[in-house]
Order: sequence, then structure tokens, then C-alpha cells
Amino acid sequence: MDAATYVGTQRRKFLSRERVVKWAPLLVLIVLVLLFPLFEWLEDARAGDDHVYLLDSRFFSIRNAARIFISAAPALMVAIGVTFIIIMGSIDLSMEGTVSVCAVVFAFAFIAWGGTLLSWAWLALPVAVLVGAFMGFVNGLVHIKLKIPSFMASLAMGFVGTGLALLLTGGDRIRVEDPIFRSLLTERWFNFPVMCYVAFVFLLIAWFIQSRTTLGRNFYAVGGGEELAHASGLNVERVRLMGFTLAGAFFAVGALLAVGRIGIAETATGNNFMFVSITAVVVGGTALWGGIGGVWNTLVGVLIVNVINNGMVVIGLPGWVQDGTLGLLVIAAVVLSTDRKSVSFVK
Amino acid sequence: MNLTRLKPYLPWITLVTLTLLVGIANPAFFNPVGLMGLVADIVPLFIMALGMTFAIYIGGIDLSMQQMANLVTVVATVYLAQFGIAVAFICIITGFLFGAISGFVTTRLYVPSFVSTLAVGFVALSGAKYLSGERALSMDATLRNESFGWMFTTVAGIPSELIIAGVLLFIAWFLQTRTTFGRALKAVGSGELAAVASGLNVDKIKILAFAISGTFAAIAGLMFSVKLSGGDANLANGFLLLAIVAVLVGGTPLTGGVGGVINTVIGTLIVVVIRSAMIYLEVDATQQQMVFGVVLIAAIALTIDRSKLRGIVK
Repeated sequence: MDAATYVGTQRRKFLSRERVVKWAPLLVLIVLVLLFPLFEWLEDARAGDDHVYLLDSRFFSIRNAARIFISAAPALMVAIGVTFIIIMGSIDLSMEGTVSVCAVVFAFAFIAWGGTLLSWAWLALPVAVLVGAFMGFVNGLVHIKLKIPSFMASLAMGFVGTGLALLLTGGDRIRVEDPIFRSLLTERWFNFPVMCYVAFVFLLIAWFIQSRTTLGRNFYAVGGGEELAHASGLNVERVRLMGFTLAGAFFAVGALLAVGRIGIAETATGNNFMFVSITAVVVGGTALWGGIGGVWNTLVGVLIVNVINNGMVVIGLPGWVQDGTLGLLVIAAVVLSTDRKSVSFVK
Repeated sequence: MNLTRLKPYLPWITLVTLTLLVGIANPAFFNPVGLMGLVADIVPLFIMALGMTFAIYIGGIDLSMQQMANLVTVVATVYLAQFGIAVAFICIITGFLFGAISGFVTTRLYVPSFVSTLAVGFVALSGAKYLSGERALSMDATLRNESFGWMFTTVAGIPSELIIAGVLLFIAWFLQTRTTFGRALKAVGSGELAAVASGLNVDKIKILAFAISGTFAAIAGLMFSVKLSGGDANLANGFLLLAIVAVLVGGTPLTGGVGGVINTVIGTLIVVVIRSAMIYLEVDATQQQMVFGVVLIAAIALTIDRSKLRGIVK
């Protein structure tokens, strides 16, 4: 073997498929964060204005970072929920319905029990999470007991959820105006609103579940090879059911943050969560086939999606570009994370 | 007679039972004029469901149909003035191309169809928002009547819309049962690996199936746009659930391979009957989505072929 080919094989090993797939999302995020200020710089340079790259950027500023984190926080919760499901190799498309129902139930309970966090109305928070967990549980039951593929079971349950939310509200919007609850958005610590820290705490909880509990390890076992997991004595059905329940609970947390952000609970609260969260999970590097990825990947994915959405607005691209970009992004992400040698055919 | 033997007839039995139940509760339901109007109203949904049948028949799904129809309503409205009736061809080609892209992404890039069609749907939504400028557009009434006025006439007492639906149904039925392509579709739906092993170009067949599904979505969108005399990036929202329900209730299982377009006719009729029953029972419009969601779960559970899932349901 001569020196040139030796270096060649070494480099190929250094840039092995696994390593590229593992670090690509973070790389993409960094490139995006540096790219949008570049556009701003180009624009100002063309106009002949003074503009120091990054320093004078409207995008690359604490204020804008807070804006990105605020819009990312509810989506992160929902995306974390679905991460567990995707790690198992299933999928959950019910989030729009679940988020709407949880938001509406929370708002009704909160107002009925006093309308301020200082009264018994704080109970509405755990109640909403329980409702979310219950909906996830039903979702899981439909998927497992009726043996319906999860994407279809959860899609149908999502429709039921949206219908239920519409039934509860009758199409009305419910305002949640308690200043203490709204301090999720209004109260800022170190420039970032409280909801960002709340989201971070739940991210840590999710990370703990994923890496330090039997349940978390079992998600990977089921996703890595269900037959093997079953053969080694794992109660796969139970793990799946727990996964869907857990996901429902996280959807509910997302719903609470979404209500905290805009102060309104309605049927439309859940809109767009499905596509954004699925995009975020796969763009973050969690493979649709299961067994790979985790909540940190999801954090990177959610940030990528929100940086793109925010950056496009900052550099003045029209709104319609976003949907198409996300669509292409999700295809690209799935293509990159798929090892073609191991997949025989897809439906 | 056990349930397996009964299964192919279940959609028929459901339809007849439901019709009788609704008819007994409300004899006015059988009024032929009202009935015809009820059926004519559902034609765009039926066309969409016809397209969906092809995607589900091969074991996939097309979640982009709603967005595709949205895009086409906008395309039709924007280009009507320029092209007149030829706008129909533009719409159909748009649908065919987007569907083919979904198929390409699914087969050649190994992206599961529910993700690929969802993503392509968002690309279509992007196009619809761009073309419409995110506003609701309306068609010029005279131009519309010149080009598409014939859609609202009746031939021998039958609304033209129903005739269009009948023609499209015939085409779909012919494709499915009387051509080699149709046999290939069945082969792919029944067992993809076996189809590959017997030398079929499965990728091509699947791409075509998604393209057909896109085409039908486009035709549905065009009819919708003409009916409502306008276009909007959200106009056809709410049709996806009903289209899936119509296909599955008709007896084409999610696993593909059996059923087909005739089943979809029955499925669509069942949807019509359930809908009119809900109107008669004064079930609020807001609750209908819930009802159809539950109907969908029941239909999938009853029709799905679990032997094909090889013990693992993901």
C-alpha cells in the first residue's frame, strides 16, 4: 500500500458514515447561525453601510436569541415527546390534537378553580399533564391492542383530539390572563424568559429518563431490534405503551408553554406542531428507523428549525419559503440518516 | 359463516344497514332529488378518495393530497384568465408531477411514504402561498362560466359532476382491473418482495401510483375551485381525513393488495350517509371530526391484514 492510498483510507475512516451522521446536525446549526448574519452583512455592504460581521447583526444578538428560544420552547417539549416514540421505531402524529386538548382543558380548569396560580388553580397544571398522559395512553392502546401501525393510529387519534378540543371550546378562544402564569413569558432572568428555563429543566428530565432509567434503555432496545428485545424477555408492548404515555405528558407540557407564550388556549393551539416536531426530530439526527439519536439531537433539531424560520424573516424572505424549506429539509434529513444497505424496501 | 368469510361484504352490509337506519329515522332521506344533490356534493371528496386508493392499494399512503388540492385551487384561479379551459391541463400536470416527486422520494430515496408525502405536501403549500400571495383569491365569474360552466349543467337529469365522477371512476377501474399496470399494483400491494423477485420494476410502479394519486388530488382541487369560484392555500383543508376514511371504510386495508376503487365508491357513500345522519341527528359540525376519527380507527382495525405485518407493528 503506497502512502497516498493509506492516507485516503485513514481519511475515509476519520469521516466515517456514523461520525458524519452524528455530528452533521450540530454542524448545520453552526453554519446556519453564521450564515444568516453573512446575508445581513452582504446586504449592508452592498448598500455601502458600516457593518461589522456578527457584531452588528440583528440576527446574531441576545434579543433575537431569546426570540428563537421562546418560539422553540413549546416545540422542543413536543419534539422530545415524539423523540422517545421515534427511538422505538414507531411514530406519533397525534400531537396537534393532544396539545389542543391539553391547552383547552388547562385553561378551563385554571379559570374555574380561581384563575390565578396562587389559588387551587395551580392544580390545573398537573391535571393538564395527566390529560396528556391519558391521551397518549389511549393512543398507545389503540396502536398496540388493535395492532394498527402507529402512524395511522396516532393520526386518527390526532383527528379525534382536534375534534374534542373543538367540542370543548365550541370554537371559542379562552384567555389565560393570570400575571403569575404569564410570567413564563414576561419575567426574564439573564435576558431569557422563564419558559426557556422551564423547557431546559424538562429537557434534563427527558435526558435523565433516556439515559439513566430502565425505561429509557428499553426504548433503545425496542428500536434497535424488536424481535431481539422480545426474545430477551422484554415486555415490548408495555414499553411501547409507556412510551406513548410519556410522549403524551410531554405534549401536555408543550401545550402549557404554548398557552403561556400567547395567553390564549384554543383548538388552533396545536396547529403546526406535527410537522415542526417531526422535522426537528429527524433533522436533529434521530433516525426514523429507531434505535439512534436522543433528546440532545432533538434540541439541535428544534433549534435548526427555529433558526431557519427566524433567520428567513430577519433577512427578509417571504413567509411562503419556510414551509417548502422545512419540507425539503425533512426529506434531506431522512435521506442522510438512512443506511441504504440495511433497508430493503419502504412503504 | 365466520368473520373472515364475511369480511369482503362488510362495507356493503354497513352501507345498506346505515342507509336503512337513516331512512327509517328520516324518510325524507330517500327523496331522489335530495339524494342526488347529497351525492353530487361529495364528488370532489370522492375523486380525492379515488386517488388515495392507489396510494393505499400499494401499501403506502398519500398525506399530501389536501395540500396538493390547495395548490391546484390557487393555480386554477390564477391562470384561468390566461389559459381558459386549458388551465385544467396545467392543474393535472402539476398534480402528476408533485405525485411523481413523492413517489421518487419514497422509492429511490427510501423515505417512508407518510413522511415523504407530508414533506412534499409542505412544498406544495409553499407554492400555493407563493402563488396566492397568502390571500383568498376569487375567479372572474364570466370567465369561470365560459370555461367550466358546463360542470353545473345536468344531462338527462343527472348533474354533470356525477358524470365526471363516473368517467373518472371508470378510468380508475379500468387501470386497476384491465391493464398490466393494475395487476402490477396488486402484486406490489400484496407482497413487495415477491413482486421484486418476479422481476417487476416496483419502483416505477410505485412512482406511477403516487403520480396517479397526485393527479386525482389535482382534479379534486380543480372541481373544488370551480365550485367555490376561488382559490386559497387552505381551501381544501379537512378533506384528508375524509378521503382516508372513505378508502378504509370501503374495505381497502392499510396494508394494501385487496379492495380497490369500487370499494372506495362504497366507502365514500358510507361517509355521505354518516354525514347526513349526523346532520339529521343535529350532531354539531364541530363534533363530526371526532366521529370520523373514531370511525377511521374502527375501519382500520377491521380491515387491516395482520399477517402481513409479520408480528411487528411499528
